Amino acid sequence: MALSAPRHLGDGTMSLPRSVRLIWWVTWFNVRMLLVSEFFVLLTFVSPLIFATLAFFLFRLGHSTGGQTLLYAALGSGMMGVWSTTLFGCGGAIAWQRWEGTLELLVNAPTRYDFILAGQTFGAVIFGFAGILMTIAWGMLLFGMPLTSTFPLLLPLSLFAAVVSLGALGMLIATSFVLYRHANALSNMLEYPIWLVAGLLVPIATLPAWVQPISWLLAPTWGMDAIRGATLQSQPPWFAIGMCFALAVVYYFLARVALRYVLHLARRDATLDLR
Amino acid sequence: MNAITAPISLPSVNANPGSLRTAWRVFWRGGLMSYGMLFNWARPAIYIPTLIGGPTFQLLFFAALGSYAAGRSPAYFALGNAVQVSALSGIFGMTMAIANERFFSTLPAILATPANRVALFTGRFLPFIANGLFVSLYAIAFGVVFLGVRFEAPTLGVAGLALLVTVFSCTAIGALQGAISLRLRDGLFGANLLMLSFLLFRHGLEAVRQAAAGAGLDRVGGLIAIEAGIGVAYAVAAFALFSYLERSARANATLDVR
Repeated sequence: MALSAPRHLGDGTMSLPRSVRLIWWVTWFNVRMLLVSEFFVLLTFVSPLIFATLAFFLFRLGHSTGGQTLLYAALGSGMMGVWSTTLFGCGGAIAWQRWEGTLELLVNAPTRYDFILAGQTFGAVIFGFAGILMTIAWGMLLFGMPLTSTFPLLLPLSLFAAVVSLGALGMLIATSFVLYRHANALSNMLEYPIWLVAGLLVPIATLPAWVQPISWLLAPTWGMDAIRGATLQSQPPWFAIGMCFALAVVYYFLARVALRYVLHLARRDATLDLR
Repeated sequence: MNAITAPISLPSVNANPGSLRTAWRVFWRGGLMSYGMLFNWARPAIYIPTLIGGPTFQLLFFAALGSYAAGRSPAYFALGNAVQVSALSGIFGMTMAIANERFFSTLPAILATPANRVALFTGRFLPFIANGLFVSLYAIAFGVVFLGVRFEAPTLGVAGLALLVTVFSCTAIGALQGAISLRLRDGLFGANLLMLSFLLFRHGLEAVRQAAAGAGLDRVGGLIAIEAGIGVAYAVAAFALFSYLERSARANATLDVR
């Protein structure tokens, strides 16, 4: 008797509710996995608090002790944690699946692998965003930082836009870092430059002019702009929100191209499970 | 003839485990081998991004943040961070050099040998001190060229001595963390936590700063001595813990337990 493949096999044949359900479950599963990782707990919850404290003291040294400055520093430090979690959580995503021996199973499962990867990266990003809440609470408790928002209704949309754009960037990182055998080493190097170039604690305007076009290509720049726009600025951050979604689309398509290329290479050379 | 009862002929052992010469070999060769085999970052593909690229961007980040937020010279923050990056080698390196023995299952073999424990333990320091010095000197050179770090020529030697002592102290903290890691599931967690505590080697860092500004040994000698004392205390504590854990592991048959 000939076997007939189920209808959802292959790219593009999964229904929307199934796709959303798949992404949601992988996201939730990854958040739970990260919660039991001492390294990611340190990266997401402890490290931003230390950087926030440093930033608060440095701004105090420069006689900038206003509530707006403290909130600026808290949000920036929190976003630094989000970037670190995205970088380390997504940079090694495929490599870890290889190490754990699950990559072959996931790639050959009757679901779209890019959706599985999307869930994994969204898990890392959402986990990272929990760190922002910690830095805000830290600033309020220890430094008397006021919690204000100039556009409170826009804040959820800004956060959503930032999560989507960072998640898509995470996918691109996951698919491109796998080409480099030592993805963690690359992650070690790329933490500080993005903190700097994306203007998380130091305004981009104070950096050399040639840095600014680079910052426009980075999701953390616009994600931070969108969140700060909704909390600190006098103009609604529509442009930053739009840029987040536009960049997310670009990142996603680049990630899909990279993923197809990587999987094609791995299948052709039979290196899918090689470490 | 029964193979089990056949006499076993072992090669003759010329080395006397208690001799100074053997201890020196364990110290020197063992130290170098531990660096090459147990330090995960020793390969260029990991070393360059982690110990050259990372510190470079750390210097740039803190120089920019410090000068923007606090209004002080970027050189001040660059010099501080240039000394601090030696902790990457000292803390992570020494943690790996000790804790990876267990991870790679070589710990039982090492502890079964009659090798001099002091030589075995202290031999691991040298490569990481040299490596930490290299990383710091690179970062200082970067700071001098790009961020305005300056040293007074007459006290350059004092600054060098303060840096050497600071790197030693940092490596000793790494040794203690390495010894603690013999009992932990994830030893690098503690190393990461230590890296984030920017208060490490405060006296040494202050000595480097003052010597760079022209202070002589008479003024910073005390700070250097305190830092050296702290380093020695960490090293002794690390060795004591290592010895205790060795005895405990033998007594409880937990050498290989992860």
